[in-house]
Amino acid sequence: MQPQVDPATMTSQDAPEGLLLEVNGVTKQFEGLVANRDIDFNIPRHSIVSIIGPNGAGKTTFFNQITGIYPPTSGRIVLDGIDITGFQPHEVAELGIARTYQNIRLFQNMTVLANVQVGRHVRMRGQWYHAIFGTAAIRREEEETVAKSRELLTLVGLRRRVENELAKNLPYGDQRRLEIARALASDPKLLLLDEPTAGMNPGETRQMTDFIGRLRRDLRLTILLIEHDMKVVMGVSERITVLDYGEKIAEGTPLEIRSNPRVIEAYLGKQAATS
Amino acid sequence: MSEMRSLLARAARLGGISGALVLYLVAVGLVLAFAQRNTVTGVVTLGRLMVIAPPLALAFVAAGGRGTFAARLAAGLVTGIISGLITAAAVLFVSSVEVRFILVRISPPLIDFMEFSQGAVPGAAINLAVAIGAGLVGAAVRLIPPRPRRPLVNATLGVVVVSLLEPFLRPRLTDFKLASVARFMFDHKGLTIVAAILVFILFAAFTVGWPILKNNTQRRIAAADPATQATIRGVAILVFILFLLALPQIAGSFLSQVLVFVGLYTLLALGLNIVVGYAGLLDLGYVAFYAVGSYLTALLTSPISSLGLGIPFWIALPIVVLGAALTGVFIGAPVLRLRGDYLAIVTLGFGEIARLLFLSDALKPWFGGVQGILGVPPLFGVTKVSVPILGWELHGPTLTYYPLLGLCVIAAFFAYRIKYSRAGRAWNAMREDEDVAQATGVNTTNYKLLAFALGASVGCLGGAVFVTHLASVFPGTFSITVSITVLSIIILGGMGSIPGVVVGSLALIGLPELLREFAEFRLLVYGGVLVIMMLVRPEGLLPDQARRRELHEAEEETESEDATDAGLERA
Repeated sequence: MQPQVDPATMTSQDAPEGLLLEVNGVTKQFEGLVANRDIDFNIPRHSIVSIIGPNGAGKTTFFNQITGIYPPTSGRIVLDGIDITGFQPHEVAELGIARTYQNIRLFQNMTVLANVQVGRHVRMRGQWYHAIFGTAAIRREEEETVAKSRELLTLVGLRRRVENELAKNLPYGDQRRLEIARALASDPKLLLLDEPTAGMNPGETRQMTDFIGRLRRDLRLTILLIEHDMKVVMGVSERITVLDYGEKIAEGTPLEIRSNPRVIEAYLGKQAATS
Repeated sequence: MSEMRSLLARAARLGGISGALVLYLVAVGLVLAFAQRNTVTGVVTLGRLMVIAPPLALAFVAAGGRGTFAARLAAGLVTGIISGLITAAAVLFVSSVEVRFILVRISPPLIDFMEFSQGAVPGAAINLAVAIGAGLVGAAVRLIPPRPRRPLVNATLGVVVVSLLEPFLRPRLTDFKLASVARFMFDHKGLTIVAAILVFILFAAFTVGWPILKNNTQRRIAAADPATQATIRGVAILVFILFLLALPQIAGSFLSQVLVFVGLYTLLALGLNIVVGYAGLLDLGYVAFYAVGSYLTALLTSPISSLGLGIPFWIALPIVVLGAALTGVFIGAPVLRLRGDYLAIVTLGFGEIARLLFLSDALKPWFGGVQGILGVPPLFGVTKVSVPILGWELHGPTLTYYPLLGLCVIAAFFAYRIKYSRAGRAWNAMREDEDVAQATGVNTTNYKLLAFALGASVGCLGGAVFVTHLASVFPGTFSITVSITVLSIIILGGMGSIPGVVVGSLALIGLPELLREFAEFRLLVYGGVLVIMMLVRPEGLLPDQARRRELHEAEEETESEDATDAGLERA
């Protein structure tokens, strides 16, 4: 068990290794629409940071550029000292970024266990011709993968007896957990969670935020959260970045963000900000 | 009361379907084609069974609804009446109005057959009576409790199946010096009445006895010590292998030819199964790989081909496989970015392009155009092999059977191993959600090309062996129907399932060969089978769940360990 660190007292100075992800001046333009404009954004190692903003603020676009789904129009993305701008998604995944999706996207017709095993794909070396000959190395790798996958299922709170169910047959909350297990299977340096509490009631939401805090502590993960619900991120994240209309309008600790007039304006309208 | 009404309304609807089905079978000519084929000689022909079966089967369905005993029987009756009325009306209509200029199959012999040779009005009445009888019997069978019903139904089906096998059983029995048995069993292309009763009893007894026998045996095996269990398993596998090896001798030359077709299509389907079943890439031009396998083999091994090399088959084979794999990559590369329907259309085009290239005058110096390539030597260099001790003479299909069997076993083993590997899971993930698979780290470009290359390699094996069997290759063989047939096999058997591929080939290639009368209706039957499968059992005959069930059973023993789970909610 890692020593517990209170997120509130942990600042970037407590993370001596420095920055895990540096995003410099990223702009994304679709035809006439500027989805992200000149965004600078850093994630210190072993921190939980959040990006919030109203619907349509460009959060998911920003996510998609980090994970390589499409390249930025301009700007640079550096992960752990490696410039990953324009990398393919599978290359980004191999370098240590894993993600979940706002609208859960599991491999529906595969078993729960197989979903996690696919998550392990980038850390496995066995090729198809090894599999055909059933070498000792590949058998060991398969066994290790099954063991690791089961460990992760337990970690996210899924029971052993569901591991051979098809993913689509799991209840909603378990599907979210499975998605996290699949992401964790690739031993990521950076875990991106896209609205992990979407569709959850307040009780489930609290469980999930507690769980995110535990992940960082126990697995020494760095986590980037996307949320449009401000309340969710206040408790867990030490830094929050606010996007609106594709631009970064504020950045700071939860306390600073809560009282920032521009943020209040973006969320509640101009009148609320001035009153 | 409303329950009763809905039951009867459903029965009426089913009766309409039954009537339409009968008319359809009659109008396309299937019924007349089987009119001469006796099932039980002197009692019923296969053609007659085709007219009786729809009201029987649909009344069985109709009587399955919720309701009282009498209501369910009435439902079967309604189905029978409506079906019979439709047939009777049609009989009256075609005997008074000439329809042959539109429905060419409605010939005088067919009309006579449908009238039971009794003239229009009595014929129509008989049709009605037969349908009502069938409806009542169908409903009655449904109302019997399952325990006595199952042997009854199985025994009836058993009689039909054995009678269908007459053209093959009779000559084989004679070959094995059992002519007297053959004479006793069969008469005029059908079972004799006595034999039919014996077969019925045999099947009924088997249906009742088999589960008991199986349970007892399983219990005894489970009680035995592991060493004995291993021995039993080993002996069982050995017996199965010996059976497969002896099969052409048991089956005879004609059935061996059927087995060769089944083997060829099994290989093709195993290959396509990798592309479609595992990776989810709908390839409608799969025939291209079959063609490449055939032509490459012919080019390399035939001494009179344009290359004129005359390389021995087994040396040529690795080159053929490599060539096919490269073709797979060539066809795969341009379609990497296409998905779903678009991919299907483009590959459909590639399949046709392949055929036209082999047919073309421009490439005639290489591939021989319409004439194809001749003079492909037999697989082992000789046309006849005699097996010492056993005294077997292997030639033609009984010889080709063995390399095909060997390649099928190897290909199935490969397919199985890959399926449960990192590559297999990556393909499945791609099939489920390509974007997420890529974001999870699967290099989708490489894995798509790998699927095409491996699928092509397996499929080309079929072409390679088959071309040595025919000693020649013609472009006409490689029509779009081959692609469609192979795809149908996979769908029928169950996408991605290896036993399903074998069952699919047996059902779609083996059965039509046995029922020669089907030949011209083959595509029609495929279409019907696929529609029914999609409606009733979209996952296929043998879907891929055996392993899951296996795992489930293994897991129940470890269930107690679950208690130590650290769950999210308890954290």
